[in-house]
Amino acid sequence: MVDLVVEAEDLRHSYDGNRFALDGVSFTVRKGEVFGLLGKNGAGKSTLIKAMTTLIRPSSGTLRIFGMDPAKDGKKIRARIGVVQQGESFDFTTVEGNFDVYGVLWGIPRAERRRRREALIQKFGLEEVRRQRSFDISGGQKRRVQVAREFIHGMDILFLDEPTVGMDVIMRRTLLDSIREEVKGGLTVVFTTHNLEEADYVCDRIAVIDEGKLLVLDEVENLKRLYGGKKTIDLTIDMGSAARFIPALTQGLGPGTSVMPEGDSMVILTDDPKDSLAKILELSQKMGVQLEWISVRKNTLEDVFLRSVDHGGEPLGSA
Amino acid sequence: MSSFARSITEVNHLEAPNITRLIYRNIKVNTDPGSLTILIGLPAMYLVFFGFGFASLQSSASGGSSYLSFLTPGLMGFQAVMAGTVGGGMLWADRRWGMLAQLLVGPFTRLQYLLGIMLTSVAFGLAGALVMLGIADLLLGALPVSLIGLGFLLAVIAVGSIFFGSLMLLIAAKIKSNTTYNSIQILVLFLVNFASTVFYPYSSALPAAIRVLFAINPLTYIADAVRAGYFGAYTTTVGYEVLVLCAETVAVLFLAVRAYMRSDVSTE
Ligand SMILES: Nc1ncnc2c1ncn2[C@@H]1O[C@H](COP(=O)(O)OP(=O)(O)OP(=O)(O)O)[C@@H](O)[C@H]1O
Ligand SMILES: [Mg+2]
Repeated sequence: MVDLVVEAEDLRHSYDGNRFALDGVSFTVRKGEVFGLLGKNGAGKSTLIKAMTTLIRPSSGTLRIFGMDPAKDGKKIRARIGVVQQGESFDFTTVEGNFDVYGVLWGIPRAERRRRREALIQKFGLEEVRRQRSFDISGGQKRRVQVAREFIHGMDILFLDEPTVGMDVIMRRTLLDSIREEVKGGLTVVFTTHNLEEADYVCDRIAVIDEGKLLVLDEVENLKRLYGGKKTIDLTIDMGSAARFIPALTQGLGPGTSVMPEGDSMVILTDDPKDSLAKILELSQKMGVQLEWISVRKNTLEDVFLRSVDHGGEPLGSA
Repeated sequence: MSSFARSITEVNHLEAPNITRLIYRNIKVNTDPGSLTILIGLPAMYLVFFGFGFASLQSSASGGSSYLSFLTPGLMGFQAVMAGTVGGGMLWADRRWGMLAQLLVGPFTRLQYLLGIMLTSVAFGLAGALVMLGIADLLLGALPVSLIGLGFLLAVIAVGSIFFGSLMLLIAAKIKSNTTYNSIQILVLFLVNFASTVFYPYSSALPAAIRVLFAINPLTYIADAVRAGYFGAYTTTVGYEVLVLCAETVAVLFLAVRAYMRSDVSTE
């Protein structure tokens, strides 16, 4: 049997009593996995994280963290979790002061605190800014401090709400790799991001939520296989032709394909790329539409994401 | 065996150490020296300027130092109000810099966080009162206060700090706009300060409206009680005042805790 760290059943939450930011979400997070939460802005990712970290109490539904009820055992749960929130949070002191104070709050003994602080400052490249005030450093550096600081204490599950925003490529990789490293040691991670490449890189399973509903939840490989037979065509046409070309194209390509327009560009998913390409060329010639860019590629997680969100509630994967 | 192990971990998670950690943090990062200097410096300036300024109004025969010794315990009581604003300010800072939500996903309860702020304000209130006492000692030479009197007046100031701390937290929980909060704070400070017995004694010659303000103002009770402790002159009225102050403190503390346990801290 797998250990379940998070169990959520029909979670709903409304901030204002009107609209549901979470609208009947059920899922589980298994011990030792990296669980990715994807979704558009305002989809409900942060709300879900706030509920799991006991910051808000869901309006209805049941939630168990380590088998405990956040409403009753909030403090016991919090003693075992780490949280990097989406918003900034700093103590009004230097970078290294932030590590120290945070370590004190978590009751880490002095020597151990120092040791971890030094290791983290080193690992996250904060040496140059360590004596600066946390408010006077760059956006990406702030994000690093906030993420690194969380590692000063031990935990069983780490919640990361868009941890890599503003980080440069190298730092992002450092973080993702250290997440993988920690997971080997038994840590469970829940992770939100808008960067699908990094979700692909680090996550074991991915949930896509939209308007408070869970659209897809599956292992990354399964999700990609779901569209395994398909290829993706990226197409850009000349400005101003989209309005007449896209409907004609959607009709011309027929079943087995789908067209997702985005201004002058579109993403086309197809079972038979050769046939689709031929049809695109033929149609564009007939209609006098200029093709600016066309390419065929394998499906990525991004296509899975776009497609699941595009199709609203239509179930695409299994929970 | 396993239940023994569990009881050990629970001992490690007793409430007290958590609160001390929160207080340590509040003192270390949540109070900037500049505003603390003003908080303690302002009453100190009152003491010096008002003490000597009003003394010059009095006939030299009545003794120039008598107003100063009237004012000293009053301003010590006033430190409770200053402590309250420090408490409210800490909550504001924590919301402003995102640490409130971060602390509340840490290994604490909301109540502990709140108590951490309260006790930090109490510490500042007491420290401020002792600074006043020190300055008065420099200005006046000998002070009439006994050790028991000092204990009594510090206890009153501690309770008063909790009262005003709760009041400011209550206002902060309801009001989300910084400018509104600041305006209200200035208004509260002014009303509470001048409609009290900090600067002048209660007198039936005062207009009725101001007499009512005087009578319902907790700072009046604080100032009277601190003055009683300072001069060792306890009266029944002071006894009642202390009782009312304690009752009011419990009520406001209760309201603040309730408002605060419910407020959505993740909004900021
Ligand atoms: N404190 C709040 N009060 C009222 N509504 C809120 C609050 N926080 C979030 N919402 C609303 O709840 C919905 C979900 O918000 P949430 O922050 O969970 O989205 P998200 O998926 O994290 O988005 P993003 O990618 O932009 O971070 C949104 O419609 C948002 O406007
Ligand atoms: Mg979010």
